[in-house]
Parts: sequence; C-alpha cells; structure tokens
Amino acid sequence: MSDVDLVEAIKVLRDEVLDTVEHGDRDPPGAEVFEALLNALTIGGESVPGLDLALHDSVTRRLAWGDSEEAVLSDAEMVFDRLMIAVERALRDPADRMVVIEAATQVAVTVARVVSLAAVGRAARDRAARLREELAQRQLKEVLEKQRASIVRLERDTR
Amino acid sequence: MVVDPPRGLYVVLDGMGGANAGDIASQTARDAIRDFVAKRRLTMEPKALLEAAIQYGSAAVWNAAQQARERHGMGTTVVACLVVDAKRALIAHVGDSRAYLLRHGRLQSLTRDHTIVEELIDRGILAPEEADRHPYKNVLSRNLGAKPETRVDMFDLELRPGDRLLLCSDGLYGYASTEAMQYLLGSGDPPETVARDLIDLALRGGGGDNISTIVIEAPQPAPSSTQVVRTTGATAWWQRRARFLQVAKDRGITKNPICRGLPPEEALDLVAASLCQAIFHDLEKSTGVNVWTFAQNVAGGWFERGGEWSAVRGLMDILAMSSRTVVEEIRVADAQLGFLLDVAVSRALVVAELALGGLLAERLRQVDGDLIQLHTAMQETIEASQAELSDSGFIEQATIPFMRPDRPVTSPGVSVELVGAIEKTLTIARARTSPRAELVKQILTSLETIATDASPNFASAVLAARELYGHRTTDDTSIMPLFDALDAARIITASSVHQTSVPDALRAKVLRAISSAHQRLVSAVTGLVLEAVAPYSDRLKEAQQRTSDLRDKVARAERKRAELERKFATTIDQSQPWDKRGVTEW
Repeated sequence: MSDVDLVEAIKVLRDEVLDTVEHGDRDPPGAEVFEALLNALTIGGESVPGLDLALHDSVTRRLAWGDSEEAVLSDAEMVFDRLMIAVERALRDPADRMVVIEAATQVAVTVARVVSLAAVGRAARDRAARLREELAQRQLKEVLEKQRASIVRLERDTR
Repeated sequence: MVVDPPRGLYVVLDGMGGANAGDIASQTARDAIRDFVAKRRLTMEPKALLEAAIQYGSAAVWNAAQQARERHGMGTTVVACLVVDAKRALIAHVGDSRAYLLRHGRLQSLTRDHTIVEELIDRGILAPEEADRHPYKNVLSRNLGAKPETRVDMFDLELRPGDRLLLCSDGLYGYASTEAMQYLLGSGDPPETVARDLIDLALRGGGGDNISTIVIEAPQPAPSSTQVVRTTGATAWWQRRARFLQVAKDRGITKNPICRGLPPEEALDLVAASLCQAIFHDLEKSTGVNVWTFAQNVAGGWFERGGEWSAVRGLMDILAMSSRTVVEEIRVADAQLGFLLDVAVSRALVVAELALGGLLAERLRQVDGDLIQLHTAMQETIEASQAELSDSGFIEQATIPFMRPDRPVTSPGVSVELVGAIEKTLTIARARTSPRAELVKQILTSLETIATDASPNFASAVLAARELYGHRTTDDTSIMPLFDALDAARIITASSVHQTSVPDALRAKVLRAISSAHQRLVSAVTGLVLEAVAPYSDRLKEAQQRTSDLRDKVARAERKRAELERKFATTIDQSQPWDKRGVTEW
C-alpha cells in the first residue's frame, strides 16, 4: 500500500480510535495524538521534523485549557491501544501494519517527552513562585514586627 | 672481656698485680669462664652455671699465680651477665667492677663494690660520709685469684623491652659522671656505639687505658604480625603499586563499564590507584575504613547513575585478582611477609565486599519496599474495583493512572514462538547498540522483560521504569537524556525487527509487542516524572497559604494600629506646642 493510501486507510479508523460516538466529533480526547500520527505517516522516516513542535503546541493548548498532564498522557495511551487493535483488524499486509505501529510508537514517545517537559517546566515555575512567596513572607514578617512594635508603643502612650 | 651473644655471656674483668700480672689474671679468668660456660651452657642450670664458672675462673687465676713467683697476689675483678632469655638475666660480680641498668631513661647501679670501706660501712663501723676520705677506699675486699674459691654476689634481673645493661670497670665510672653515662646510654644509639662513646668520655675525663665497657640491650620481643604488616607489609605493598596498576590494566579494568568514557590513564588513576592507596593506608593503620570508603564511593556513584551490579562485580574481581597477583609476587620474595600480606589484603577486600553488600542490601530494601507498595496498591485496587462494580459499576480514575501496577493493559498474548522472536530481535538490537550506551541497553533489557511478560497488567513496566529512572533531579538536563535514550531504543528496535529472520506476520507481531512494551515503559517513566513534580505544586500551595495568613495578620495588626492611633490622637492637648505634646514616634 502506498503512503497516501495508508494515510487514507488510517483516517478511516479515526472514529473507532477516538471513540467519537462516545465523545463527539469535535476535539475528542486524544485527537491531537491522532493528528500527529497522520502527520508522521504522511512524512515518514525515522524522525519527523516538526512533530515535536506540533505536539508541543497541542499539548500546551490542552494544559492551558485546564487538562492535567496525566489526562493528556492517558488519552495518548488510549489512542495507542485502540489503534493497535484497529490496525490489526483493518490492515492485512504485515508491512503496512508495521509502518503504522512504528509511527504510533514514535508519536507515543514524543507525547511522553512533551508532557514530561511541560511537567518539569511547571515544576520550575512552581519553584520560582514558591521562592517569590517566601520572599514576600519575609517582607510581611518584617512589616508585622514593625506593626507590633508600634502597637506596643501606642498602647503604652495611651495608657 | 667476654662478649658471647649466642650463649648470652658478657663479662668484664679488671686485673691487678705488677709486671703484667693483672693482665695475665684477667685473661686467665676470662678464658676459664668462657670455656666453662661454653661447655656446660646447655646442661647446667643458668644460676649454678654462672657461679661455678666464676669459681672456676678464680681457681684458674689462683693456680696460675702459684706457678710463678712474680705472679703471687695477682687477681682480677669480674662482673658477668648471663642473659637467660628475653625476660631474664643473671648478674654476678666480685670486686669493684660494676653493672648498671638503664630503664625508662634512668640509670641505676645494680652492684655494690667489694671494697674494705664498703664492708666497714655494711658492718656499721664506718659512716658513709667518711668513705671518700678513708685511706683504704680503693682496696678490694674480694677478687678472683686471692684464694682458690671466692664469694660471688649473684642476683636475678627481670628484663623489660628497651632495658640496657652496662658492665664496666672502675676505669669508666671513676672518670665519667653518672649523668653523662645515663645520657649516652639513653641516646638510642646502637650498643656498640654507646660503648665506644663511654670509653671516649672516660678518656676525656682523664681515664687511663684500663677502661672496659660492655653495653647489652635487652632483646626486643618479636614484632607481632600486625606490626609487620603495618611497617614492612605496607611498604612492600606500596613499592609494588606500579605493578598493581599494570596487572589491573592487563586484566582490562579500563574496559569495565564503570571506567568507560574515561581516558585509560585517568581510569587507572581513579579506580585502581585509589584502591591501591586505600589498601596501603589500611595496612598502615590496621583499619578498613579507606577500602570501605573506596567501595562505597565507586559502587554508590555507579548505582546512583543507574549502573548495573555486574559492572561493579567485574571491577572488584579485577582489582581482587590484581591484588592477589602482587601479593603472590611478594610471597615469592619473602614467604612469611607474603603470607601476612595475603591475610591483610584479603581482609581489606572482604571489607570492600561488605561495603558492596551494604549497598546491595539498600537497593534490595528499596525494591522490596516498592514491591510491597505495589502489592498493597494492587490489593486495594482490586478490593475497591470489586466493591464499586458491585455497587454502581463506576470506576474512579487514579490520580496518576500510569503508576497503578494493576492497571489492565491491552495484550494480544505472548506465545512461545513470539517470545523467541522478541528475544532474537532484542539480541540484534543490543548488538547494534553502542557499547557506551548503557542506558539504551538497559532500556532494551526492560523492553524484553515487559514484552515477554504474559501478565495483563502494568507491574513490569512500573518496575522497569523505576529502575531506569533511578535518582534524578527534576530538571531538563536530568530527564531529557532518559527520553533521548528511549527514542534511540525505539529506532534501534524498529530497525532490528526488520533484520530478524522470521515470517512477516510474526515480525509484525514482534513489532507490536515491543512497541506496546515501549509505550508502557514510556508512560510509566512519564508517570514517575509527574510523580516527582507533584510535590512542587503542593509546596507552592502551602507557601501561598502561609503568605495569605501573613497578609491577614498584617491587615489585622494594621487595623489595630490605626485604632490605637485614633485613640492616641484624641488624648493630645491641641493647645500645647508640638514639642510639649509627648514623645511618641509617628
């Protein structure tokens, strides 16, 4: 099967893999992973230029909308598992199946890398934010000390 | 003089009499005593032997005196020492030759001169202070040769290590002060040198040519094996360090995974030379702390980087074999030293093994803890799932679902044929992996474990991920190499599948199995990353909460202060000038 035909064949599996019956056709969980898979199949090769960037954009978007990293990863895993089953059934030529499996594995590793990067980045931001909080706490403590001294003085003077 | 160390006999004699009779007397007595002891040293009891020898000498001098008129009245003093063993000596003396003992740096006289003056003092006829002025102060009351038999003063002396005995004639102590003699004896110079120095001292003090001295050093106890190892053994080991490094290099220490990536010389220096040095210091101090520290550092650092146990085992085997080679060479040169070093170095290596054992035990405890945790989590999940299924059929999602080992996974099942093909593929993959890519090799091993695991859950992936993850900091530089290695392993396995000589259908199944394993492993690793970063959010929330509490406190304090200021303002007498209204600071 040619690359074009293979991509078309996989597109047909979209509803099954993303379970659109359950989640609806618009942005079902794992849609970005499926899109990345199609992208990888279209271009081919051991490494796909832009796959990292494309997945980074889509994952960041999901995280910005409030999805957790766990949810993104879970959806990617679900897509991978369903795709394996669907491909086993839909593609008769082992060579075609192997092409799709290779691409799906690549996408899975890339998604995991992007999610990990996002998590590590968040941790760094949290660390920095905590430092700022601690700095603010130190300043607030100083203010509080001054206020307490003033209160003691005022209480003494008004007695 | 008689100096006969093999028999332990030392004698100083000082002859008396004109026309060389004194010399004849002392020589006669000397020969008689020496021969008597030589013949009977092994057959007679030491004390009886020494006394009989001196009596024999006395008889010999008397007999010689009887043979010539000009020798009548000749005689000799004697002071003799018979060293029985390392802890005992016998002292015998007649006349005014003396024996001194230097112990702990202090010199004491062991004998009392046999002079008329001393006899008078002993009997209470003469006061000690009158002795120096007495006209017979140098006249002997006893000597060898005056009579066929004489009375010999004898006593036992218990020797201690470091003791020094001085036997001397009056030519020494009459012209040298006791302090000077004490100083020279305690100088630590060899006995022969001290004896020569004492004679020089007496000569400088105006002494004549009748000065005889013997310095005897109490035999030192044989050094213990520990002392031998500490001194000679440690030195012999250190002198062969170059040989140790060479043997270690020949045995391929630089090819060990722990040393890979380092220039050979640097690897030798860091590993083999460090152990050689650690053993040397431990031999010197009879401890094992240096070797222990070495093993802890090498193995601990390696394990922290996720290294395999087999590399540490291989390294220690090479070092142990190199040590044995060096010790064997020392044994050829000196059998006893070699034996003692063999024991000491083996003990050092056992200490290193104990350190490794401790590290391994720590690792096992961690794995054990993880397994217990996994088992507990699995049990709880099973129970919860059963309960929920029986209630409403609703299954709650875990916080980090990838870390749940009991999580069911889609598995098409693994047949014996598939397992064989997977193993074959991953063997090819390992062969194609760079020898330095230890992490990729570890991932390939993990993939094999997961892909051939027939259990339909996530446990093997979680265990493998924990092993891979090890101890990493939560930053890009620490995490990304792991994902790079996972990606490299993916590319290698994918290409290796195509090189495996199996039917296409089976090849596709192999790829699916390995890819699924890969996906599970990657998910589990990512789960660990998420688990690692989770506390940061919690800590930030705690910090934000603390800041919020502080803000509340500041706000409350501000309100109170404002209220007090208002109250204070009402108490100020506005009619007074500013400087009379109070001293409150604003």
